[in-house]
Amino acid sequence: MKKHIYLIAAFLGLGVGISQAQVQKGSVLIKNATVLTVTKGNLESSDVLVQNGIIIQLGKNLTAPAGVNTIDASGKYLMPGIIDAHSHVGLDVVNEASAPITSEIRMKDVVNPTDMGIYRALAGGVTVSHAMHGSANVVGGQNATLKHRWGSMDPADIIMQDAPRTIKFALGENPTRVHGRGNGIQPRSRMGVEAVIRNGFNEAIQYKKAWETYQLAKNQKGNTTPPPAYSERLQTLADILDGKIIIHCHSYRADEIYMLINVIKDFNIKKVVFQHTNEGFKVAPEIAEYTMGASVFADWWAYKMEVYYSTAFNAAILQKNGALTSINSDSAELIRHLYHEAAKTQRYGGLTDEEALAMITINPAKQLGIEDKVGSIEVGKQADLVIFEGHPLSSYAVPQMTFVDGVKYFDIKKDNNDQRQWVAATEMVEPIFLRANEEAHRCMQDVDAYFEAFQGAFLKEKH
Amino acid sequence: MNKQFLKAGMLGLLVAGWLSQAAMAQSDPTGKRRVTSTYAITNATVFKAPGDPGSKATILIKDGVILGVGSSLSLPKEAKIIAGDSLYVYPGFIDGAGNMGITKPKDVERPKDFVSSNPADEIAGITPWRSASDAYAAVSTQIDDWRKAGFTLSQVVPDGGMLPGKTALVLLGDGKANNFLKLNAALAANYRSSRGMYPATLAGVMAKFRDIYQNTTLVLEHERLFTFTSGVKRPQATPTQTAMMPVVQKQLPVLFAAGSELEIRRALALQKELGFKMILTGLENYESVIGAIKSSGTPVLIKLQVPDDKSIKAQKAEGVTEATKAQYARVKESYDKALKQAAQLEKAGILFGFSTVDAKAADVQKTLKAMMDNGLSQKAAFAALTTNPAAILGVSGLVGTIEKGKLANLVLTTDTLFKEETQIKHVIADGYVFDYEIKKKAVKAETSAKPETASNAVQVEGVWEYTSETPAGSSGGEITLKRENGALGGTITYDDPTGSGKASAPIKNASLTGKTISFEFDVAAGGMSLTVTISGEINGKNMDGSLSVPQMGSFPVKATLSSPSQAN
Repeated sequence: MKKHIYLIAAFLGLGVGISQAQVQKGSVLIKNATVLTVTKGNLESSDVLVQNGIIIQLGKNLTAPAGVNTIDASGKYLMPGIIDAHSHVGLDVVNEASAPITSEIRMKDVVNPTDMGIYRALAGGVTVSHAMHGSANVVGGQNATLKHRWGSMDPADIIMQDAPRTIKFALGENPTRVHGRGNGIQPRSRMGVEAVIRNGFNEAIQYKKAWETYQLAKNQKGNTTPPPAYSERLQTLADILDGKIIIHCHSYRADEIYMLINVIKDFNIKKVVFQHTNEGFKVAPEIAEYTMGASVFADWWAYKMEVYYSTAFNAAILQKNGALTSINSDSAELIRHLYHEAAKTQRYGGLTDEEALAMITINPAKQLGIEDKVGSIEVGKQADLVIFEGHPLSSYAVPQMTFVDGVKYFDIKKDNNDQRQWVAATEMVEPIFLRANEEAHRCMQDVDAYFEAFQGAFLKEKH
Repeated sequence: MNKQFLKAGMLGLLVAGWLSQAAMAQSDPTGKRRVTSTYAITNATVFKAPGDPGSKATILIKDGVILGVGSSLSLPKEAKIIAGDSLYVYPGFIDGAGNMGITKPKDVERPKDFVSSNPADEIAGITPWRSASDAYAAVSTQIDDWRKAGFTLSQVVPDGGMLPGKTALVLLGDGKANNFLKLNAALAANYRSSRGMYPATLAGVMAKFRDIYQNTTLVLEHERLFTFTSGVKRPQATPTQTAMMPVVQKQLPVLFAAGSELEIRRALALQKELGFKMILTGLENYESVIGAIKSSGTPVLIKLQVPDDKSIKAQKAEGVTEATKAQYARVKESYDKALKQAAQLEKAGILFGFSTVDAKAADVQKTLKAMMDNGLSQKAAFAALTTNPAAILGVSGLVGTIEKGKLANLVLTTDTLFKEETQIKHVIADGYVFDYEIKKKAVKAETSAKPETASNAVQVEGVWEYTSETPAGSSGGEITLKRENGALGGTITYDDPTGSGKASAPIKNASLTGKTISFEFDVAAGGMSLTVTISGEINGKNMDGSLSVPQMGSFPVKATLSSPSQAN
């Protein structure tokens, strides 16, 4: 890869003067912190040494090599960077809501590294987010796993290039509303949703076979087999069947969750994570046995009919049944305090500190297939770290500094009023009014304009 | 002049010319046919190419071709002489990508069994087989405006969806001639999605582009197999695939419209992935992406405009908080950076020209000055108007410089280019001469030295009734002007573009200098907002001027003061 060094805005105030096409890796020694490793217990008054973006040593009385900054974290807590397994932050487009299957869509095409939500997430200690396609389609687009390297203008710099591929699926009311009721095509019902998935996979099997036949015939003498048509849509479904892509499936009801479990059993698919999963507690053993678990809200429901039967004990019940469980945000607001959301599992379900923290670190890392790289503080892992004032599960916790690959991207002491990366030359500066954004949840973004006629009737509710 | 030579050498030619003229002679009831197609610009200061210090020479052109440039040319008798003694001659400007004279094709009617998840290409804005030449009208006010600004050649881009069609190179010469220099010069592409169908978003457009590209590659492979082997199923390329073939075969560049840094990066990433030839156009914000453009080797066409300074002017010096001042500083910083971008392209050694899309012809001089005040060299500005776009469009052999054998596209000015007081006197495009009135500029010092109240002699306040002539017909309304705290403001009514009746808008940025009034107002139409500028000269109770609409051109406007304010 060629290196192109060019100056980026020096006004960022983040000490990131120079950016490269290759991502920045930092070195730092954090001293005397209470280190919450999540996977290896807690280390009192300990040091963490990071070199070139990787954690290389944990212990006491470590000394910084020449040229490496030391940060005194006495009395503070150090935890792994928080990982949000369901987010739409940093995306210019969320839904390509025009077809029931859009597996050819790549969210990586529409990543926007200047989205202020990324910086706000960093301020909440979130270093990795799963930038997902929305839930308008049965099979949505391929998601992007982002590393919050705030300050880069190049989308490629904030995409976690070594994360495995994932894709969005959606069951229930959203796809049936958009395509069935909105557009008069399949799926009109939950049965239709299942049919769309099964037909899709069966077509993908045919597609794969056609290409295999062609590849074999191509080099034979006197070959008369022409190349089949190309379809990234079907190729992506074939890649799911081959275990190359993790499905992240928007779901609420137990029956639809169990339906998808049956489908993946039939097609021998192992990599599925359920998203939202509000009735997951009813099918927790099945989720534990056949899937990569569930990523849920701490306590959020009743925003539409299919999300009424819910409980704040959901995460704890899933976890106690052995299902891999994470807490997510699906919101540019909740992403700023996921540590509070995780703490709710202690109030509702009595999880231990370690279990609760795992819900926003190593567990989502496993669901995104990046647990060998991030999600805990261990030697050899990427240095995504957060320093907290107060224990992160305390109501009074405040993140102080957030690091990605050993580079500090958030520092509460250097948090300027205006952290925007880019300002339009023609911007009319107007007085700022604070207001709550009740429409901040973006699962159904870009759908409204698409089925305008039905907007009034059906699109009040989101997610 | 060697008259002996002229008589002897040119005699045969003259006779032949006379004979053919006689044979073709018909009456010309319009009286508009030109007397000759041969012109000589004598003893002018000629700048043949960027970097040329300029020297006195005579240029002889005939039938749209430069026959010679030099000091000892013999001029044929039919040559109409343009005395160039006080004139400066430059190669005609070239618009790298424009939409002058282009009309948007009608939407295709949706069939009864329309499926929004898989619409026909034509309905979804995928029409690469179309050509801008089919949507081009050589007579339009936009063309007049751009020609008046010195432009003689444009790559016109068809209007439509994500792949609207092929571009065409047109000469801005006589409206009745066939002005196409090159058809199918490039394939136009942009991020426009289709409303209510696939691809409905930017993400869909990217995926669809890949799909079309890959399937065109495969259909070509199928065609090869079919050609060389018997017993192969007949290939059935779609019109889209057939039109995409020269792109996939890297014979035809993709002219990709990308205004912002992110759009540019997305186009560069797509290009890198698929490997097509590319020209980026419509660049507006590209400061942070110059390194990536440079390393990709992609030529670019930047918008021939700089950001307007409305927001800078609106910044208040007093009565604002520190936080607001900090925001002001950010905007100012962005503004200053935006003005320096063109100079940075030059510094980086990137081949760049201009695109006239979204730009105003009347602002060309102002725009170029802003770029040059911010570091762009005169030579680079000259090249960006001439040799660079010629190279980017692959027509360096025909246009871009003043040389024997090249097309007769010239700009004749009253002083050296880029000087503030310089005006364009003639533009020669495709060998046709267009004359422009030279305005005697009022001595500025006198009017500007006095405060605005000094122009009280001109009655401006009150209600004006105006009419304007646009291609859509005659329209009009009322302009109400009044002065508050010394600042001129008011409202204007106009025919509501969204339906019947009148709409009203506040007047902005109004100014009165001497007898010249100018102001702006915003018109909302179809979810977009256009800023319309009206400027004109007031004589008594009459105002004569022009109304200019971005992307559409400028149109004459007349107004009369029907009820003057008494308070004045």
